[in-house]
Amino acid sequence: MNRGNRILLSCVYWAFVLYVFVPLILMILMGFKDSKFIGFPIRSWTLDWYTGVFADAQVLSTFGYSVAIAVLATLVSVVVGTWIAVLLEGRKFLGRAVIFGLAVLPALVPGIISAIAFRIYARWLGIEPGMGAIIWAHAVHNVPFVVLVVMARLSSLPKSQTEAARDLGADPFIAFLRITLPYLVPAILGASIFCLLLSFDDFVRSFFLGGYEPTLPVLIFAKLKSGMSPEINAIATVALILTAAIGIWAERFTRRMNKDSKA
Amino acid sequence: MSNDVVPRANGGIVVPTNSNLTFWGRLANWTPYRIFVGLATASPRRQFLILATFPLLWVLTQHLGPMLQMLRVSLTDAYPVAPGVEQHFTLDNYKRFFEDRIFWQPFFRTLAFASVFTFCTLILTYPVAYFLARHVSRKNQMLMLLLILIPFWVGEIVRTYAIMILLGNTGAVNQLLKWVGLIDRPIPFMYTSFSMGIGIVYLTALYMLLPLYSALEKLPKSYNEAAADLGASAWTRFRRITLPLTIEGISSGCTLVFLISTGFYATPVLLGGPSTTVFAETIAGFFHVAGDEWPTGAAFATIMFVAAMFLTGAFQKLMNSLRKGDTK
Repeated sequence: MNRGNRILLSCVYWAFVLYVFVPLILMILMGFKDSKFIGFPIRSWTLDWYTGVFADAQVLSTFGYSVAIAVLATLVSVVVGTWIAVLLEGRKFLGRAVIFGLAVLPALVPGIISAIAFRIYARWLGIEPGMGAIIWAHAVHNVPFVVLVVMARLSSLPKSQTEAARDLGADPFIAFLRITLPYLVPAILGASIFCLLLSFDDFVRSFFLGGYEPTLPVLIFAKLKSGMSPEINAIATVALILTAAIGIWAERFTRRMNKDSKA
Repeated sequence: MSNDVVPRANGGIVVPTNSNLTFWGRLANWTPYRIFVGLATASPRRQFLILATFPLLWVLTQHLGPMLQMLRVSLTDAYPVAPGVEQHFTLDNYKRFFEDRIFWQPFFRTLAFASVFTFCTLILTYPVAYFLARHVSRKNQMLMLLLILIPFWVGEIVRTYAIMILLGNTGAVNQLLKWVGLIDRPIPFMYTSFSMGIGIVYLTALYMLLPLYSALEKLPKSYNEAAADLGASAWTRFRRITLPLTIEGISSGCTLVFLISTGFYATPVLLGGPSTTVFAETIAGFFHVAGDEWPTGAAFATIMFVAAMFLTGAFQKLMNSLRKGDTK
């Protein structure tokens, strides 16, 4: 009985793995099709779509633009998010619950509403649509994830460590920089990678706050609206490999760092 | 002031001076820094204010600000305001929502779709999470979870496109069915609520899977064993033990997935058709045209936000009361 259950459940698991992998694998394969027409079967293969992508100045500059936005937005969210986490974790004060609620609010607002609210607010502040506006919106949207990850890590830091530093004469700033911050490094790095991916993959905010220059998801969306082509598959595959590689690397990296600091 | 802190050499005994201190020691002895620390830590109250001011200002102006500004714009008759025109407060933008079927129909459709897709995601991922948490060894758990995580690092647009290729008329599914001989003519999956559902479940499954997994993982195996010893069947054990004790995971997973599904814009545009227009598309429509439609768009976004928050809040309340009722 139990054995039968187990086999059935493992079938469900592997079916789920197929469900999440097969669409991506098919999409990757289609990028090698030697025809402008998207669809199966694929009879002959080519690398032309890839050489085309790497020769396309617009696509390459879009890649650079998206990466720059992701890096700058991540820097802002990491600093702000860590600061908020340090304030909230392990401290009791009036209004703490309210600040926590507000700190995670951007993560709970559905995508389209958040994009609209940012668009209106940017207009009110006088920020023109474009790179600055996108960076700002991504940064605000990603802060909650940093707050949650850093707070979780901070809660496991023994209070005695900072107290010992204070007893030995360190002021609160040096105690923070030399004890707390190094302890938070794995969480901060993990959160940064997560923010980088969120920002690089984000469509709805980039779409509503962007100027004439598209980010990569916006470019793919625009190309898709004018028709499917293996060229899009090639662009999407390059983006896919980039994000999946960063994700896998980060997963291993943060796991190892967590293990090291626990030992 | 610095005279009494900087140690001096006397009697041949070497005492640390600035030159052989570490970076931190030198920083701590640096006069401007000392003055700054002295001022900043004069009292616990001041220390707290320095720590708290920036986060407080940030969450108020950056997190709450955009939402409040959206609410304010939704109550005006014109935005952005043209020079020389007076802005008035009005409720007309909200009234417009109820006046036309093309406005409220997508709204209710979105809520219905999001509920159905959330339920499908739950049904699909619960056995997967259950299998990982209960039937796999610790070491393999991480690897098998990581395997599922990989596709979820890929962006929304790329994954939506992958679904388009899968379900198109010459897509993999149709070609496969044709090859097997089940159909002669391709089934039009695309641009229907079906293709949209497949896409949205694909995009949100992870946000359901992770809370479920962590709830199931926390559940001690001994509970089930004890129940089995007392003669409970597998189904009874699931219904009376596993399910009630993982309600928290179900509740947070469903909330997340529901909120995310109501917010999708690109996926319904690419995978849906004219008969599946969701409210996100309606809202976006007001921002593609000239600025004077912004207040209506803002009002509709506010309606959507309030409805989504209300529904998920009510859902969580319901789940909580279920949990309490069951453990009594």
